[in-house]
Parts: sequence; structure tokens; C-alpha cells
Amino acid sequence: MSALRTSAAPVALPAQRDRSGSRRTVPQRLGRSLTPWLFLAPALIFFGVFKFWPSIWGVYLSLFHVQPYLGDQWLGAANFTRTLDDPDLQAAVWHTVLDAFVQVAGSMLVGFVLALLLEGPARHLRILRTAVFLPAVIAMVAVAELWHALLFPGRYGAVNSLLGDVGLGPLPFLASPNSSLWTIMLVQIWKHAPYDMVIFIAGLVGIDRELYEQCSIDGANAWQRLWNVTLPALRPITTIVLILGLIRGLRVFTEIYVLTGGGPGGSTESIVTYVYRNVVVNNDIGYAAAISALLLAATILLTAVTLWWRRHRENA
Amino acid sequence: MAFTAARHRVTAAVAAAICVGSALAACSSGSGNGGTPAADASGALKVWARAANDSPKAFQAIYDAFTQKTGIKIEPFFTLTDFETKLTAAAAAHDLPDLVVDDAAQLGNFKTQGIIRAVDKSKLAGADQLAPGSWASASDLSGKTYAIPFSAQANLLFIRKDWLTRLGLSEPKTWDDVTAVAKAFTTQDPDGNGKADTYGLDVPGSTTRGYISWYWSTFFWQAGGEYFKDAGNGKFTATVNSPPGKQSLKWFEGMYCGSPKVVQPSSLNDTTTETNKAFQTGVTGMYFTGPYAYATMDGSAVKGKYEVIAPPPGPGGAKTLAEGTNIYLMQGQRPNAAQKLAEFMITQEAQNLGMTKVPSATIVRLPVNTSVDAASAHKSDDRWTLAQQVYKDQGHYEPVNMPNWTALRQASSDALNAVIAKCGDSDAALDQLNDKLNTLLKQQGVAAG
Repeated sequence: MSALRTSAAPVALPAQRDRSGSRRTVPQRLGRSLTPWLFLAPALIFFGVFKFWPSIWGVYLSLFHVQPYLGDQWLGAANFTRTLDDPDLQAAVWHTVLDAFVQVAGSMLVGFVLALLLEGPARHLRILRTAVFLPAVIAMVAVAELWHALLFPGRYGAVNSLLGDVGLGPLPFLASPNSSLWTIMLVQIWKHAPYDMVIFIAGLVGIDRELYEQCSIDGANAWQRLWNVTLPALRPITTIVLILGLIRGLRVFTEIYVLTGGGPGGSTESIVTYVYRNVVVNNDIGYAAAISALLLAATILLTAVTLWWRRHRENA
Repeated sequence: MAFTAARHRVTAAVAAAICVGSALAACSSGSGNGGTPAADASGALKVWARAANDSPKAFQAIYDAFTQKTGIKIEPFFTLTDFETKLTAAAAAHDLPDLVVDDAAQLGNFKTQGIIRAVDKSKLAGADQLAPGSWASASDLSGKTYAIPFSAQANLLFIRKDWLTRLGLSEPKTWDDVTAVAKAFTTQDPDGNGKADTYGLDVPGSTTRGYISWYWSTFFWQAGGEYFKDAGNGKFTATVNSPPGKQSLKWFEGMYCGSPKVVQPSSLNDTTTETNKAFQTGVTGMYFTGPYAYATMDGSAVKGKYEVIAPPPGPGGAKTLAEGTNIYLMQGQRPNAAQKLAEFMITQEAQNLGMTKVPSATIVRLPVNTSVDAASAHKSDDRWTLAQQVYKDQGHYEPVNMPNWTALRQASSDALNAVIAKCGDSDAALDQLNDKLNTLLKQQGVAAG
């Protein structure tokens, strides 16, 4: 948060100079105000072409039955009203929300424990931290392919073979509708927890050491220090990581698509895999666009509420 | 589904990320119909074929022969992974290829999208040399032709000969035999490694491309079932929940949910990529698949250890899933050149090239040209004689002439996968599916009543 404030300062300076330096000519002033936009232009053009325009176009398409070679048919809001009465979509929304909550909360919990264990300047901790962080830098597709092989539901799957050695299993993992979504969540936690760990370590480093000393002087034990100093100090980081994770979780696709393709029996279908199915299997681009538009609206709404809430808290 | 049918989800994931991430807009644009230009646009002919591994080499051999004859250059594109997905994206971008080689089952899907041209058989050189039956999966309900047949095939039963021998079993001749062999393969350690790590039946049970119902169809027809009943006037009623249908699904579900469970446990998420591997690596012992798998299997450690037999008949008779591969003329800018290539691909020369040029890739399985004989082309391999015989005697096509069979097949797959995943009431699931299929028939404008 403090970083945001400091970065805002240099932007304010030229503006002040502008006001005092009224001797500048109009083209000079124009040039000055255009400069930042010129620097931003490559990114803006890129986002415009590949993000903003496609998003707007997608919302437009959601009003049609899209048939590129036969001509699109105007449907009005029909695609949107259809979403209200689609049990498959409702199941997908439920899976997505459940997955987002569990995987974000799970990753944070594991990440926090890892951070407590691995915080410190010692060299062996640095090596361990790097090792633990590796899953976070591997592409999700690769992670999912790897786990797909490890989690084979038969006795000769790597994980089941280990479980067999201790007299358990074989467990079905991704093969049963009862365990498929939970298995995906475990893979997600394995992948995301190290990232959360790094954020928590940064947070832990920022805590004033004197607070711990004072606590110790007052006779607090380790648990009390954690509860009364560490956790309150990490609260801002925790909330923002949680909320951003939830928003990101709404768009979950890659790991589900690679691990189960939404099955078995639709038990892992998420909103975006459902959108994908509607496009490529059912050729129902308009309906898929409508669901995407609703997802976009939900994401914007969540983000806006988060921003409002943060500002509200900071001002309070 | 034909070819060494497979799915690799990775590329799809990337494609989808692009599609979905941009709220789908990148996947479509505008409307309108290209119409048929009088003269071809300049440039190479863009040809897509659903093929992987060594199959592209075989296609390339045909293309090269064509280019040499006509001077028309070809810009080929091959993929097995999400072929139709990529085609849909190309259609949305109004950048279709000129000619596509893909399963006959996609006919309705392509026609519904308006991306293929009707074929005038009277103006197609060599049309009269094709087997009359092969045209059946190239036309719609009204009999209008929308594709040109290129290859045909029917599923056979691949079975581990060494496992049968070790357990003292003989080849299955009935459904009961199939069940018994599947159970023995699962419980009696046929590979003799002392571990319970084998399964009787190899099933691609995923809903992707409708795999599970595609596979089950063989048993469905063997029981005497049919997906639809012709009510006259081009109208149909769904009959998937008929007693034979229910009998076959109960039997099929028993393979998954009975004791012991004889299907490989990952089945419900598996496509043919995984099931091919399961058979190749000795995880499963019986696999219903097409003759294109001879090359796939012979290229692995299972070579020489398996045999191929005619699918054992069910209570309703001897039937097996037959399929065609079609040549589709797309709404591209080079219709004349595309038609020339199609005409070449059905000639004796091209059909022979497709059968034998690349031994590890038989892109023409059973030829559609009546002057070509698969058995004599593959003299050294009598499994082709069997393939031809089974196709002729037992081959049963999916109802690909329906306005959009892929949508109907997808609905069937979703229902089958869901009920088997829960080991639920298969009769009730088929009743529900029947209603769903009738609804879809209504949407496609061919429902009776």
C-alpha cells in the first residue's frame, strides 16, 4: 500500500511545474501531457486489440445465435434468460465457487505454515524456500499433466502404489465424481501455496521485531505471539490475497480441462470449461458469450466491491 | 474418432485460454455467406486432415502425387487434437480451408454450421467407381450429398492372446464370454507379475467427442437397439430406451460397477490416447477399436502378443460400429481445385497410396473405390481380410445423416458417463436420455408428432 503512495508522487510533480511555468507554449504543454500516453501506448494498443475490443465484441455476440457462415440471428436477451434455467450451468457455478473458496483458503493456510517454517536468513532456509517455490513457477498445464499421471486410479499409479505400501487404497482420485473436485483442489493447493508463502514471508519480514520483544517481556508464549502480533500484522495482506485469489478462482480452466475435462459425470465442470464446451462442442458461441459476459460482470462487481471496501477501511 | 483417435488436452487448453480469455469474441466475427465464386482464387490449396503420428506422411504422399499431376500446390495442415475445435475457430474467423478430411459423423455438424458445400455427384469424376453403400454416410436425410467418401472401417476386438493362453481361456464368442474373460483378466493376474494391476476391458469413457456412447454403440446395436425410429416424412422418434437399449447399458454398466470392476479405473476421463496406451502397456486385455490400430499397436511392446477377432455377437445379433472418413468441400475460395483434389483422392492410385505407402499409417483403411481390394493390397497381413469381412457382415453406421448427429451423440455421452460415474439406475438414465434426444430432434426440426 505504501508502495502505491510513493509511486504516485513523481507523477504529481510535473503537473505542479506546469502550473508554475506558464511561459511554456501550447505545443510544449500538449507534448508534456501526451508523453505519458505515448509511453503507455504499446501496452494500451495491445490490451485494446487483444482484451478490450474482444470483450466488447463478445458482449455484442451474446445477443445473437452466432453462425459465421449462415448469418447471425438476433436473439435479444434470450441467451441471458437461458442461463437462469440451465441446471448444468448452475452446477458449474457451484463447482467453481466451491473450488475457489477451498483452494484459496487451503493455499493460504499451507502457504502461511510454510512461511512460518521457512522464514529467516539462514542459507539452508533459502535453498529450501527455492525448492518449495518451484511448483509456483511451473506452467499449470505441465503441473496438471504431471499429476494426471501420478494420480492414476489403479494400483500401479504412482500415488496409489505408495498408498498401497502402507495398506491404503487404491483411491479413485479423479475417476470418481465423489473425489474428482477435491483432488483438483489438492493439485491447485500444491501449486499455489508456495506463491502465498512468498507473500507471507514478505509480510513477516515487515513486522516490527520490537513487538515480538515486547511480547516476550510480557511473558507471551509462541502461540500468543502468533495470535496477537503476527496474525493482526498480516491481516491486510491476507485479505487482499484472499479476495484476489477468489476473483481469479472464478476463471479456473486449465487444470480442470487437463485433469478431467469436466468429468466424470460433469462433477468438475467449471464456468469456463462449460463456456468452452458450448463453443467447441455445441457450436453455441452466442450462449457461451452470454455466460462469459455474466462472468465478466461478476468479476468487475467483485473487484469494485473489494476496491471500495479497501478504500473504506483505509479511510476509517 | 477414426484415425488413431486421440485427444491431447494441452493444445486445446491453450486455444481455449485464448478463446475464453477474450470473452469469446476472438472466436467469431460478423456474418454472411461467401457464396460460390466462379473462378478459383490464387494461392495454394489449403487442406486439413485429422491425422497424427505417421498419417500425415501418407496424406502427403497423396498430395505430392496430385501436385505432380496438376501443378496445384497444397498447403497441408494436420492435427488430431481438437480438430473440429480448430475448424470452428477457422470458420468464425472466415478463414476456412478449401478441403477437409474428417469423420463422416461430423457431416451434420458441418452442414448445420453452413461451412461445407453440397456435392454434385453427376459432376464429380470417378463418383461412379465408389461403392454405393459408402455414399450413405455422405448425405443428409433428404438424400442430398454433402461429402465424398474416402475410407471406411468397422471396429474389431483386440485381445491379448498371451493372456488367454496363460489363463487357459479361449476367444470370447458371446457377451457372457466377454464378461468371463474380462473378469479373468482382472482377477487372475494374466501377466503373471503377482500384482492385481490388469483390467479386462479398455474403454474410452470420456464425454469428449462423444467417446463413451460411440464405444457403447456396438453393444447397443448388438443387443438389437437403434437410436431412432423412422416415423416417415423425414421425421424420427428416439428409441434409445427400448428394452434392448436398457439391456445393453445394464450390461455395459456392470463392467464398470459390478464385482469385480473390469474396466480400467481411469476410463470415465479417458479418450483414445489413454486407452491406446493402456492396451499397449498391458494394463487392459480387450479393446474394441478399428483396424487403424494395427499400426498403433504393432509400433509398441504389445506387438505379437495380441490378436484381432470379430466382435462377439450380442443377444440381438452380430453388429459392430462402422465408420467412414469423408472428404468435405469447404466454403473456401478455390472450389474447383478442391474438387479436383477430391476426385484424385478417390482414384485407384490415391486409394492404394493411402493404404500401403506408409505401412505404419493406413489412412485408407478399407477403400471406397470398388476397383481396389484391401485384402490384396495388404497381402502379408490377413487381419485386413478380417477387417473387410467384419465391415461387410457386421458393420453398422451411426445415424450420421441426422441434421446434427454430433449433438445427439454428445447428449448420449453425457448421460452415459454421468450414470456410470454414479453407478446409478441405467434404465432411468436411458428414459431421461430418450426425452432429451426427442427434444434435440425437435430442435433439429425432425421430431415426429
